[in-house]
Amino acid sequence: MATVTLNQAQKTYPNGFKAIHGIDLKIEHGEFTVLVGPSGCGKSTLLRMIAGLEGISDGEISIDDKVVNTVAPADRDIAMVFQNYALYPHMNNYDNMAYGLKNRGYSKAEIDTKVREAARILQLEDHLERKPRQLSGGQRQRVAMGRAIVRQPKVFLFDEPLSNLDAKLRVDMRLEIKNLQQRLGITSVYVTHDQVEAMTLADRLIVMNGGVAEQIGSPIDVYEKPASQFVAGFIGSPAMNFLKGKVSDDKKHVTVGDGVELELDHDVEGGREVTVGIRPEHLQMHNDGNGRIDAGVRMVESLGAETLAYLDFGANADNVTLRLQGTHQFAQGEKLNLSVPADKIHLFDIETGKRI
Amino acid sequence: MKRVQFEHSAVPYLFIAPQILIICIFFLWPAAQALYQSFLLEDAFGMSSQFVWFRNFEDVLSSSSWTRSAIFTVVFSVMVSVLSIAISLFLAVRADEVIRGAKSYKTLLMWGYAIAPPVAGLLGIMMFNPLMGDLYKAFNSFGFEFNHIENANDAAFIVILIAVWKQVSVNFIFFLSGLQGIPKSVQEAATLDCKSPERRFWTITFPLLAPTTFFLLVINLTYAFFETFGIIDVSTKGAPGGSTATLVYKVYVDGFLGADMGGSAAQSVLLMIMVSVLTVFQFRFIERKVHY
Repeated sequence: MATVTLNQAQKTYPNGFKAIHGIDLKIEHGEFTVLVGPSGCGKSTLLRMIAGLEGISDGEISIDDKVVNTVAPADRDIAMVFQNYALYPHMNNYDNMAYGLKNRGYSKAEIDTKVREAARILQLEDHLERKPRQLSGGQRQRVAMGRAIVRQPKVFLFDEPLSNLDAKLRVDMRLEIKNLQQRLGITSVYVTHDQVEAMTLADRLIVMNGGVAEQIGSPIDVYEKPASQFVAGFIGSPAMNFLKGKVSDDKKHVTVGDGVELELDHDVEGGREVTVGIRPEHLQMHNDGNGRIDAGVRMVESLGAETLAYLDFGANADNVTLRLQGTHQFAQGEKLNLSVPADKIHLFDIETGKRI
Repeated sequence: MKRVQFEHSAVPYLFIAPQILIICIFFLWPAAQALYQSFLLEDAFGMSSQFVWFRNFEDVLSSSSWTRSAIFTVVFSVMVSVLSIAISLFLAVRADEVIRGAKSYKTLLMWGYAIAPPVAGLLGIMMFNPLMGDLYKAFNSFGFEFNHIENANDAAFIVILIAVWKQVSVNFIFFLSGLQGIPKSVQEAATLDCKSPERRFWTITFPLLAPTTFFLLVINLTYAFFETFGIIDVSTKGAPGGSTATLVYKVYVDGFLGADMGGSAAQSVLLMIMVSVLTVFQFRFIERKVHY
């Protein structure tokens, strides 16, 4: 159990590129923190800075209140799981897990107990004598996890550990990781670009963009109250719809598309140009014509459990996604009558993208 | 198992014909010639010859000069291979860690590859020339009584030095590419698992380089056996008293300088047998153990 504290941690590469622009963060004992963002946002760099694989240009990173900026990776008492497993190909799986313990001077008997215990938890008992290349992708990832848990480190670091696995295995391993982390109660930092992994695993989510933490909060907070247009568009699938809008003079409505007025749940400065965000799942369809919005269907995708319809909202908003439960049949061009609850409308500043 | 027979056409044979032709003309034919000649006893001018069965082989194997040359060849080959592999591995590991000016280091270390063995031999022997050689003077000014013209060990030292120097650049290239073939994440995982860089090298990097090392061992032994001819011919010419003549060089000295064609042919046949055995041994027994 340990805390990880980042104090204005920054990373600048020798060529002048600033990968991380000063991040402040405190990860509590046993907390599962997920760093999520598009490629190149600096999430892996940040993880590698905590691991000690990348230097820290400015600021401080501490583990359990001890600054580790200049501490060697092996002395930080962390364990990392890599995307491509990074197992030692010339050692069998037992030795792969035992390697870190051997180098830390554990006795043979202790090593054996710890490795066998980890193998039992991860159901690898039958594969210990084999080399990594004789295992499937999922088993290799388990060995990599085993290598991390045998040491009982203060912090687990995961660098997109599930990206190389197929879809079904990814779901299984995701549950396994969550389960394991909760059981062992070890502080964890997990990097992913997959928002499903991010939403399901995280106690706390950090959405990164361009080397900056755009939002830090619980997954539900981030989903319900995205701090910026970037976060709103990144979290949630299918992505949030964005429309150009203008706040009416009474400060209580916003006009989008061909003059459709939507009610707001809080007052906004009248006449202000804004970006209006509506999640596909928050558009409600009405058969009785009580909705304020009329939109034509352009295309329909049926996924079985849900149906995605792409709608034409009129001016500047010709591709709005609607997500409905169950199966629905629509003709092309069919007019749908829709509404949005006032508390599900998100407004963002046109210039800064910040939530209003 | 049933074997499937496809319709044969002449085209594939045409494609391999040039290679087969080259092997026949430049290897099989001379080898057969040498084998035939090794059973003959010729006079120095090639005017008459007599079929003597294995007498040439008996003479060769019982001669002390051949035994000495064989021992020198083994010592020389092992020293050259081990030293050049060790030095180039060290250089490659260091060059791989360099960040600033990495390209220049690497290019400079590879340059030696472009030098022909006789040129390397000439450079080497000039450095040890008793009249103007800087290394000769340096060694003697340190108090070594260095004299490769009379001392067999000193002469062997020079030949080994030149041969190793020439081979380091070749090995360096292979080790560098071998090092770059080790996944970065594996090395990073090792830095988390093991603090000591030396220990990490011997437990992770070196085992992962084993296939490269084995390949280079084969290449270097072959090099030391055969390709050092130019170096020896230009530097010591086997002197003093044949103490730095490898088996290959001795074949040349006895056959072309000593005009003992039969004895020289017998030596080359023995060499052929040794090389065949060595090759079979290397690939049968060692290669299996170095792969992961």
